[in-house]
Amino acid sequence: MTKISHQKVEVVIAGSGIAGSTMAAELGEAGFHVLVLEAGPERKLSEMISSQIWSRRLRWAGPEVQETGDLVGAANFAMGWGTGGAGLHWYANWYRLHPDDFHVRSQYGRSLDWPISYEDLQPWYDHAQTYFGVSGNLDPNTPPGAPYPMPAIPMSSQSNAIAKGFDAEGLKLTSNTLAVNSVPYDGRAGCVLDGWCDAGCPIGALANPLVLQWPRAIKAGVELRHNSYVTRIETDPAGSRATGVVYIDENGQENVQPADIVISACHTIWNARLLLLSTADKHPDGLGNRSGTLGHYFTSHALTTIHGLFEQETEPHTGVTGANTLCLVGYDNKQPAKGAFGSRAWLVGQAAKPNDLLGTALAKPELFGDALDAYLRRASSHYGNMTVLCEEESIKENRISLDPTKRDRYGLPQAHVTNSLPQENVARSEMAKSEGLRIFKAAGTSEAWAGPRNPMHMIGGTIMGRDPAASVTNSFGQLHEVENVFVAGASLFPTPGAINPTATLAALVFRTADYIRTNRSSLLP
Amino acid sequence: MIGRRRFLTRILPTPIWASLGMRSLSRNAEAKTVEQTSYKQLTHSEADTLAAWCDVIVSGARRAGVAKFVDQSLSGDQASSVLLLRYLNASDMAGFYRKGIIGIGAESHHRFSAPFPQLTLDQQREMIAAAVASKMQVWNEPDPNFFYFISRSDAVDVVYGTEAGFADLGIPYLAHISPPKPW
Repeated sequence: MTKISHQKVEVVIAGSGIAGSTMAAELGEAGFHVLVLEAGPERKLSEMISSQIWSRRLRWAGPEVQETGDLVGAANFAMGWGTGGAGLHWYANWYRLHPDDFHVRSQYGRSLDWPISYEDLQPWYDHAQTYFGVSGNLDPNTPPGAPYPMPAIPMSSQSNAIAKGFDAEGLKLTSNTLAVNSVPYDGRAGCVLDGWCDAGCPIGALANPLVLQWPRAIKAGVELRHNSYVTRIETDPAGSRATGVVYIDENGQENVQPADIVISACHTIWNARLLLLSTADKHPDGLGNRSGTLGHYFTSHALTTIHGLFEQETEPHTGVTGANTLCLVGYDNKQPAKGAFGSRAWLVGQAAKPNDLLGTALAKPELFGDALDAYLRRASSHYGNMTVLCEEESIKENRISLDPTKRDRYGLPQAHVTNSLPQENVARSEMAKSEGLRIFKAAGTSEAWAGPRNPMHMIGGTIMGRDPAASVTNSFGQLHEVENVFVAGASLFPTPGAINPTATLAALVFRTADYIRTNRSSLLP
Repeated sequence: MIGRRRFLTRILPTPIWASLGMRSLSRNAEAKTVEQTSYKQLTHSEADTLAAWCDVIVSGARRAGVAKFVDQSLSGDQASSVLLLRYLNASDMAGFYRKGIIGIGAESHHRFSAPFPQLTLDQQREMIAAAVASKMQVWNEPDPNFFYFISRSDAVDVVYGTEAGFADLGIPYLAHISPPKPW
């Protein structure tokens, strides 16, 4: 079948989520002719309906991902589908990686190092928090940086109930840092703490691409093309420069989009997959894969949620979905006991409605019938929770790959994620679970229990590094082998730390956009 | 795949059904409701079995339309689905439910020589408890524990996850944009 050809653009970006939309706005405002290709449909604020049931329509509906290992299973929950991608239902937890997270290999002889240090990224973290709008107070356990532009959101009833447990454990609970407006900011409303963040925030108090990046990008002339699933990056015969991308439109027709610069800003799995699919004579194992590391060093965070029922009323349906408060005390101690490795962070007091994966009903999956009803009636006003994120080491065995024996709806090899938590990270996670149960007991719960360990966040697979023989891109996300191809997103992280990745993702996007602006003349032919 | 299918139910306690009190059900009236409903993917028999199964897990699920809820999502594409299953295994959602309903029937006949909707409430609870404890005798595919987890979520959605359900639990709904209909 003949491919539809389009006029060349200067920059084509695959993906319209937080990475893609931020990059598009930055480069559009810098005068580049930018086109963004989004696999899913157009989204509007009116689709952000306050319902856990309705909100499922915002989630991933692209090709299925196969997952194997003991820390997998949440790909479709984490990814978005349509304008803004996962940025329409993210929780807006906003954290900086700590200085040690950038040098794990050098300091501990395990995992990997980043090619940059915290100091390199600090100004971009500062810039990003102003751009997105971040609420939070000074916390001595966080890395140095500019003050947050807004004060923290108020302490919730849940956090107040849980706080004395942290005190008893010798830890300190602090206000959380969130890309959620505690007060009106930059023309966007302040949060009303109604607990519907993951169903989408149509008032724009939570920074999402429909209210933040896309208005800027559209104003700057960026074109956004929906229902456009990018299947490969094309290169010249020498394999040294990308010439554009191929995508499938809503009619199943292949399109060719020529471009001077190609940026893959998809979710982690799809960044690696797109490069793996982009084989050619000069790069038979995938674009940017001369090192053999493409797809490898996938990581996640090992999550365990502690649940409890409190004597006092906790109003669990209110607040923010991300977390109301935070504990980073002890985060920098990556070796808390013999045989245990990794940082951990406590995210405390997530708003919980009755249903969905994070709802109060699924906190006790074994209950049914009258017992479930009785529990829910109590939990609706007395439930509290907190989640610990534990670090997963970067190891080559955990990876994103293609399964040539299975084809997706587009006839392409299916994506396959393999991820198992290294044993010393398992031990760290178990320590954290015990700590959490002690905290909830000390807080005076009438009942406390821990959920199973699950994955949260998908990271790595197109890691950055100094050595082209051991990484896919340089610190700007630029492929070592093809200078006009960039990657944006958490797939670039060599290590994940133990905190949510979006602040770091955003800081890297701003840094890469600045690099492309600065090197415009050499990147454009 | 086991880790994925036991997403949140890997560690389940011993059966708790024995401690549950009896609940009276007006089955005839509810069955009539099923008969009057049209389905696109499920047969009436499949819908009746699913509704009966979910109604033991969450009382009121049948009346709230759980079978219709599932059928409606299975009738569209993945993008329009509102089932929790789409997060965890979206490769063949209709097949998943259909095989699960067949599993319910097979287990019910094996244990009690009758279809699940015709069992006594105690027998139905015993079946649910066996799914919770991964102790099914002949039902293997899909994993009964995972099928319980998913169908329980469906039942919770239609009974407790709507504006009416919130009100029944005494939870202020606080919508930015209210759902135009429950699902």
